[in-house]
Parts: sequence; C-alpha cells; structure tokens
Amino acid sequence: MSVIRAGLQKITNVLRNGPGGILSRFITNVAPVERKSEAETTKDVIATCNKLIEEKPSRNFAIVHLLGKQWRVTDGDLLVVEGYWPPNIGDEIKLEKVLVAATKDFSLIGRPLVQPGLVNVTATVISKGLSHTRTHFKKKRRKQFMRINFQRAEQTMLRINSVEIASKINEPAKNVF
Amino acid sequence: MSNKHLFLNSGFVRAPLQNGVGRYVCQLQRIVLKFCKTHGSCRGLRDFIEQDLVDFAKQNPGVVVYLKPRRHRGPVAVAEYLNGDRVWMNLANKTHSEITKWIEVLRTQQGDIASTRLRKYQYTDHPSIQGPWTPFTFKNPELNTAVLPDQKFGANDRLPMSATEQLRLMFEKQKLEEGDVKTAE
Repeated sequence: MSVIRAGLQKITNVLRNGPGGILSRFITNVAPVERKSEAETTKDVIATCNKLIEEKPSRNFAIVHLLGKQWRVTDGDLLVVEGYWPPNIGDEIKLEKVLVAATKDFSLIGRPLVQPGLVNVTATVISKGLSHTRTHFKKKRRKQFMRINFQRAEQTMLRINSVEIASKINEPAKNVF
Repeated sequence: MSNKHLFLNSGFVRAPLQNGVGRYVCQLQRIVLKFCKTHGSCRGLRDFIEQDLVDFAKQNPGVVVYLKPRRHRGPVAVAEYLNGDRVWMNLANKTHSEITKWIEVLRTQQGDIASTRLRKYQYTDHPSIQGPWTPFTFKNPELNTAVLPDQKFGANDRLPMSATEQLRLMFEKQKLEEGDVKTAE
C-alpha cells in the first residue's frame, strides 16, 4: 500500500505547479510589455557611437559588394576578383556598395546599403593577370561522350587602403554624387 | 585528358613588398622580345615591334625592353618581375593584336601568377575584429552567475503555447490597452 501511495504522491507532485512540473511548462510568466518612449536610449547609443568614431579606438571593417560577391574588408587586405573588370593596375578606386560598416564595438547595418558618404572604402588595383589553366573534363560512361575544355579567368588583385567611417551617424544625408 | 594539374602548385594570395600600401610599383622590370627577321611565325611580333614598341617603352619608363634578333628561331617574350619570377611565352603565329594583348597581360600581372592555383581569394591580417563567435555571444550574461539547475534557464520553451496561456496573454494585453482607448476624433 505504501508503495502505491508514494507513487500517487509523485504523480500529483508532477501535476502541480512546482519546479519542474508539467503544468509549469505550459504556464509561463510572460506578459506583454507596455510601449515606452525609446528616444532617450536611442540618443545615448548614437552619441556613444559618434564618440567612438571620433576617437578611433579600434580597427574598422566593412562588408563590400564587389562583382556579385560580398567581401569583408579591413585596412591592408588583399582581394582577388575574377572575370572581366575594367580598372587597370595602379588605379585607386572607391568601393561604394557598403552593406555593413563596423568597429569592434558597434556595427552600422545598411538596408541594404549604408547611406552614401558615411563610409569610405578605398582600394588600389595591384595586379591584373590570368589564372592557372582550369580543365573542364566531362565524360559519360558507355555513351561515347567525352568533352574537354580549358579556360583561364581574368584575375584582378586589389589592396584595400582604408576603411573609414567618414561622417557622424544620424547626420542628414549629403548628396555625394 | 590533361594531367598537368597534378603537379600544379597551390598557394595563397600574396603581394610582394606590401605593394599598394603606400604607393603602387609596377612589378614588371624587364621584357625581352626574341624574334627572327625572316621567319613567318614572327610576323606578328615584327609588326608589334615596328608599330607599338616605342610607345610601349615610352609609356612604361620603369620597364627595360630588350630586342634579341636571332636567325631561324621562333618568336618568344620573356618577362622578369620584381619578385624574381620569369615568365616565358611563345608568340609563334600570333597576330599583331594578339601580341598587344599578351604583352599587356605580361605588363599588368605581378609575377608568374598562372603557375599557382589559389586556395583562397582573400588575404587578411585581421581575421576577426569583433571577436570570433562562441555559443555565448549575444547570450544574457545572467547565465554566468546563475546556479544550475535553474527554473528560468531550464524552462522548455520549445513547447507550443497552450490555449489557456494565449487567453491569458490576450487578457493582459487588453488590460494594458484599456487605459488609452483611441477614438476617431
């Protein structure tokens, strides 16, 4: 009898709202939060970020859209882009499509691009050449089908010179074009 | 099928002497054009030398151009680069315009880049700036001091919301909104 009684007690314990009970899993303390004005925090955050931009305590990086690919770049990086691309060696170019710019402490995320003029990413074209010969070999077994193609892609090497957050956040957009 | 790729070296993106950091330096230092004055296969190269070579040398004062006539041999261009690479290129039966393009390739590349397969297309000294991701990034720091097992962190939040719970939430929301009922006025 005592064994059965103990078992019953266990079951009731489980059904109760005690810690780890089944009912407790279905009933939470989640409650909708009343909407409050967020102006104060927004101001604080933007002021802190602007201060960090001025002081430059850490290295910047940016995610840049270049020839259909996205590259995460910082100062001194080397990139190799493939395919036909007009810039020639020695050209200094500015990468305009910035998706994200960030430092160690904060990130500016574009929707989809960061506002033009806010971030300044410059690069130098170092080298333009052709890649190694790539072999495209296709064969179907028992079908008397065999093709072989050789191709070399144009490769352009870029040196990233600087990633700078040029102006302050939340300033009205300047028309840079 | 070609088995040449079996002996192809692989490498990573590099630039000699931090090229492009302060200023850019053309990596081609010397180009030797070898040709025959009578051979038919040298026709294109001879045309290039007659028409374009002086302009090429004027536009690239940093590049030393040598001409090496030799009898009854095929046309060849040899380019030497600042990092010590030497690229040998056969120009037999190539037309004038083809040779112009190939010499432009020799001028603009930074060494013997075609002899290595790139393993990565980017090089960086700083692979992570905000720190690499760990399972604890963006997690609530309360977890650090909590004594486990804890009801808050051990809660099973993957169960679907029960009808009672939904009703309760709706009720509480209604109570919040009762305070400021918006009218059309």
